[in-house]
Amino acid sequence: MQLKPRGTGAKGGAAADARLARRRLIAASCALLGATAARAQEATNAASDSISGEWNVDSALAYYHEGAGRIKAIEPIVNFSKTFGDGRTFSGQVVFDSLSGSTPNGALPSIQPQTFASPSGASLSASPVTYTTSSGTLATESARIYTVNPGQQPMDPNYHDQRLAVSANWGLPLSRVLNASYGGKLSYERDFVSVSANAGIARDFFEKNTTLSFQINNEFDKLNPIGGAPVPASDYALFQKTGGKTKDGVGMMFGLTQVMNRRWLTEVNFSLDRFHGYLNDPYKILSIISPSGGTTGYLYEKRPSSRTRKSVYWENRAAWGRLSMDLSMRYMVDSWRVHSDTAALSVRWWNPDRDRFLEPNVRWYRQSAADFYTPWIDSTGSRYISYASADARLGAFHAFTYGLKYGAKITDSQDDTTSEFSVRVDYYRQTPDHQLVGPGSLQGLDLYPGLQAILVQIGYKF
Amino acid sequence: MPARTFAPDTALNIESRGADLLAVCFGAMASPCELLLPAAERAVALDLGELVAREARRIEAKFSRYRDDSVVTAIHRSRGSAAGIEVDEETASLLDFARECFELSDGLFDITSGVLRRAWRFDGSDRLPSPQTVQSLLPLVGFDKLSWNPPRLVLPEGMELDLGGIGKEYAVDRAFALLAAVREAPFLVNFGGDLRANRPTPRGPWQVGIERPDAAGRAALILELEQGALTTSGDARRFLLKDGIRYGHILDPRTGWPVRDAPRSVTVAAATCTEAGLLSTLAMLQGAGAETYLEAQGVIHWLLR
Repeated sequence: MQLKPRGTGAKGGAAADARLARRRLIAASCALLGATAARAQEATNAASDSISGEWNVDSALAYYHEGAGRIKAIEPIVNFSKTFGDGRTFSGQVVFDSLSGSTPNGALPSIQPQTFASPSGASLSASPVTYTTSSGTLATESARIYTVNPGQQPMDPNYHDQRLAVSANWGLPLSRVLNASYGGKLSYERDFVSVSANAGIARDFFEKNTTLSFQINNEFDKLNPIGGAPVPASDYALFQKTGGKTKDGVGMMFGLTQVMNRRWLTEVNFSLDRFHGYLNDPYKILSIISPSGGTTGYLYEKRPSSRTRKSVYWENRAAWGRLSMDLSMRYMVDSWRVHSDTAALSVRWWNPDRDRFLEPNVRWYRQSAADFYTPWIDSTGSRYISYASADARLGAFHAFTYGLKYGAKITDSQDDTTSEFSVRVDYYRQTPDHQLVGPGSLQGLDLYPGLQAILVQIGYKF
Repeated sequence: MPARTFAPDTALNIESRGADLLAVCFGAMASPCELLLPAAERAVALDLGELVAREARRIEAKFSRYRDDSVVTAIHRSRGSAAGIEVDEETASLLDFARECFELSDGLFDITSGVLRRAWRFDGSDRLPSPQTVQSLLPLVGFDKLSWNPPRLVLPEGMELDLGGIGKEYAVDRAFALLAAVREAPFLVNFGGDLRANRPTPRGPWQVGIERPDAAGRAALILELEQGALTTSGDARRFLLKDGIRYGHILDPRTGWPVRDAPRSVTVAAATCTEAGLLSTLAMLQGAGAETYLEAQGVIHWLLR
């Protein structure tokens, strides 16, 4: 490559023609810029409604696979956003989940084979199941029966579900420092429908270096469990079920975002939410265990009908040359006495041309058990159950996630657009804490299997 | 979720560059854009940045051929109608300018040459179009085939207009004019490498790095600019390679084929971006004659081959 800095200095006859041409060019440029100055000024205001940005689309396909033959999920996600000329923004998301596999039903392993009825609807090898509805009539429904071998964790092998979730959010600048936002979300599953709406306001201070925001959220959920919603704490063998149930939630969040300097942005959020209604998992049961370790029966779980959660979240984002970093921490406490701590760190490392990056991440999570969590119910204790659940998600555990993401920017030389391709692989390992040893024959059985899962996500952003 | 994250392309971002220089950055016209202000207060910088960004986006929205609501799309919709379309004053000025450039360059600079893109895809491969394909498009190229009687334009069937070749430079000059009306102190407007400054900074001339075309982000040379405009044409990443011959992305509208031996990049200094941009584009179109052309024009220039 040859570099040729040149000065001015055209001489001679041909050059005179060239200079004449150049004077015409200068005249043409001046005519263009002079003639339109006033008109363009007027048009500046008139055109502010027109669109100023292309749609940004961020799509991903995630595959989630739990170990030991448990849940597998495939999840396409599409995010799209657009900023309009007057500063309004729109963002939307469409997610479709397809889940299948086995899911723990909450009962403990036993040295005897155990038989359960799956609530997952009609099947060819169905046996009739009778249950009472809220109107008192008897109904029958086909249910699949499954048997769990001695020593194995009882899991419903017929779990399958599909979920479609759509959300939309609008941002509206009210002034140069004040922004409003509002949006909604709809999520639909075969046995669950959720609708929520949110509204927020954010104000910038100190030349946009500080932002305070406040947001409220309202959610309404309708549950239509397959086979009906069990009466909480009722005997599993009695099939006492009612029709659909509801729950609703309200939440609010107060946030502070602060630009500390050119390389560091910090953000603190406080949030409070409260759910009320039918908060049970309609498919979860508990084993009733005798002092010898035998299973004498099962109860449906029963959770309190309200739950209040408070959390604090602190996130720091920093960039230094080709490195950028995101460190976040969360502390959550709820009225069920679940406390949880989360810490996550990701570091993005760009190549010198800044068109490819590697991003390792690690996340640590720990929670204490809900005060009504119990792995089983003692058959010699009181038959009156205030609240009880053996759902491992309400027990004490800690978990690590290790992941690696690789991304590459692709520039289309034809129309000068850039897109980004990424692959992400995460490994998740959950380990139960504070394990109680089972009585009698339960000793030696693995009552608290952990969970391992792999997440693979392929993304394309354009 | 928090109402604010790191600003996306469409938002204004303010950052300090060194002790006494603020940069207001935003994305427009598929390019990173910035307004540089030495010794300015942040609040003032943001206000001025909004003025510039708004103008850039106005021009982009009005003249982009990818927008349903643009003037160019409206012109394309009128294609083939005998009555044509009446255009506004600003568009008329741009069309006048395009005609003048077409005539001055003997048809080398042509806003109707975009149809040739149907034949050429510069993806680094060896897939050249057939001569027949290129030949079949030539009847659709040529500003002289339009009927332009201001303010009425008749666009024949099959033809296209693309103001992309002058839009960015024009936008710099427009934003410059808006700023100059409200600010005496030094500033520099830079839209994707096409830039214009009103006066030197308190510490001396502006330092402008010119990118080496094949290594994004690395300055091949540093120029000093007191005032006026600098534009750079050329992008070595867009080419086809067949039988050892490199076909660059600069197409000669008269033949439909890439200009032979075009420089990798040409940087030209002139009073306005519009003028500088045209000179750098025309120099590229001269191919091997780029140096001779620029010297005959008597302009300050830098050339990479």
